[in-house]
Amino acid sequence: MKRFSLVLTYLVLLTISAILVGLVLYSPLPVLIASVSSPEIRFAILLSLLTSMASTGICIAIAVPVAYALARYQFLGKRIATLALTLPLTLPPLVAGIALLLFFGTTPWGKALDAAGFAVIFTPLGIIVAEVFVNIPYMIRILRSAFSTVNPRYENVAKTLGCTDTGAFFHVTLPMARSGLLAGTVITWSKAMGEFGAVLLVAGATTMRTETLPIALYLNISTGDLSLAVAAATILIMISLATLCAVEYFDRGVHVF
Amino acid sequence: MLRIESLSITLGEFSVRDASLEIRDNEYFIILGPTGAGKTVLLETIAGIHIPESGRIYLNDREITSIGPRLRNIGMVYQDYMLFPHLTVQQNIAFGLQQRKIPKDEQHSMVAEICTMLEISHLLRRYPGSLSGGEQQRVALARALILKPEVLLLDEPLSALDSRTRERMRSELSRVRKITGTTIIQITHHFDDVYAIADRIAIMREGRIVQVGDTSDVFLHPSDTFVAEFLGIGNMIRGNASSKGSIARITPRTGPEFFAVSPVSGEVVATLHAEDVIVSEAPFASSARNSLFGTVSEIIPFGNTVRVILDVGFPLMALLTRESCADLHLAQGEKVYATFKATAVHVIPVNGD
Repeated sequence: MKRFSLVLTYLVLLTISAILVGLVLYSPLPVLIASVSSPEIRFAILLSLLTSMASTGICIAIAVPVAYALARYQFLGKRIATLALTLPLTLPPLVAGIALLLFFGTTPWGKALDAAGFAVIFTPLGIIVAEVFVNIPYMIRILRSAFSTVNPRYENVAKTLGCTDTGAFFHVTLPMARSGLLAGTVITWSKAMGEFGAVLLVAGATTMRTETLPIALYLNISTGDLSLAVAAATILIMISLATLCAVEYFDRGVHVF
Repeated sequence: MLRIESLSITLGEFSVRDASLEIRDNEYFIILGPTGAGKTVLLETIAGIHIPESGRIYLNDREITSIGPRLRNIGMVYQDYMLFPHLTVQQNIAFGLQQRKIPKDEQHSMVAEICTMLEISHLLRRYPGSLSGGEQQRVALARALILKPEVLLLDEPLSALDSRTRERMRSELSRVRKITGTTIIQITHHFDDVYAIADRIAIMREGRIVQVGDTSDVFLHPSDTFVAEFLGIGNMIRGNASSKGSIARITPRTGPEFFAVSPVSGEVVATLHAEDVIVSEAPFASSARNSLFGTVSEIIPFGNTVRVILDVGFPLMALLTRESCADLHLAQGEKVYATFKATAVHVIPVNGD
């Protein structure tokens, strides 16, 4: 048994490595550098960075109070809220995408937003909306587990020492949940960088307009421009690798997956 | 003075029901009760963490029932100390000063002062995770005391410590009380704490205060069977011990001296279970080292047993069955002998000074 499982482990390791390394080494280095520095890929990198950072920021801003409520308070409909907030986690991004498309494209609310100048459909704003919708459950889950490991008595003590409720949260609970917050941020950001399905449906795939890295990969593979697609893919692999290392480093006792 | 008037609050499975207490200035007040009696909820409500459903709390005639914890000037130390793990000892102790926006240099001198008093100056740069239980306890005390609270609440402060450290901390607590003049309310289920430091105690059961009084009063005159059974031990005698080898000669404030097996010398409280006291009409030869002569001052029937209070120079309680009480023809004013073994006496040092 031991021998079999070890051999299989090495085999899987080799296969995965070979596949990924094969992709990275597909283009000769000069070609890769040229592709990465092409205007289209540079645009995609920039757009991906901006949208992913914006959506991660929004996720943090929303998830911190929500996760705190889920970890600390008892309230009506808490179970349903937990379920609903977690559902997008298991939802295929394409389904999330079409739901968002219908919401912003066909409902009066969506149209009102559009009229107010917040056009979501087929715009860069749509990318952020799609990323937030798909990623916020991760952030909430990670933070909820991080907050619930902090004994509420720390806050009680902080209050007797002169903190307001908010002060106790920011001085005590949040710093104590730091590793969870960092892990959540890194995961949310890297998922946002790689988000494809939901972004495709909400923001469309318009070259040099809503073209994030995954969309660039998709557009270029459709048009047969393999070296640009590989360049996009290579960057995404680097990001994944960095994320994994960061999470391994921060993630102490915070279970994400 | 802290006054609590018919306070009620329910928190999950814990509750406080119609509790009224008056705690005097500079008093060491202990609330005793079994697990789940609602002691911690009561303490947290005094601190202002919870708003009671009904009842009022006054601190020096100022009503504080619905005032937030940060404005009460009441300090709290939990059983597990709750030191902030992300802050150094220095930052933990200065936390309250920081909240009050006290200038840094003033903070430093205040921290230095309190650390000297509690002998923790060498720990300032460390993080709580690397401290022993006793050290954490001192840091938690320093963090609460630095704000000079009018009342200090202690939630089972000694139960997480080993017995040696516990004894040291106990004397530390009474010393702190003497130096700072802070009123202290402590909850515990450890009787030794009560004997050694409490001025007055309250007994709590299922959310209700069932008895309040001077420590020796409550022990000699428990108001009901619950209190009697819960307290278990009937006698606590204050006195001075001088120990030779393993035997201590104990001289009470009044009355005859007696012996205990203990290496302790100095100011002590000796405790003795009421059921370990043998009452007889005449002295008899036995291995028991202590035989004291006295009169029966009170006979209190208590279920199947009878509690006989003797005056042997100090009050001494004996627990007898109804049958043996009848056989001995005990009556008030009767002269009897009380006999007990030196091993039955438990000696607890009182380190008030």
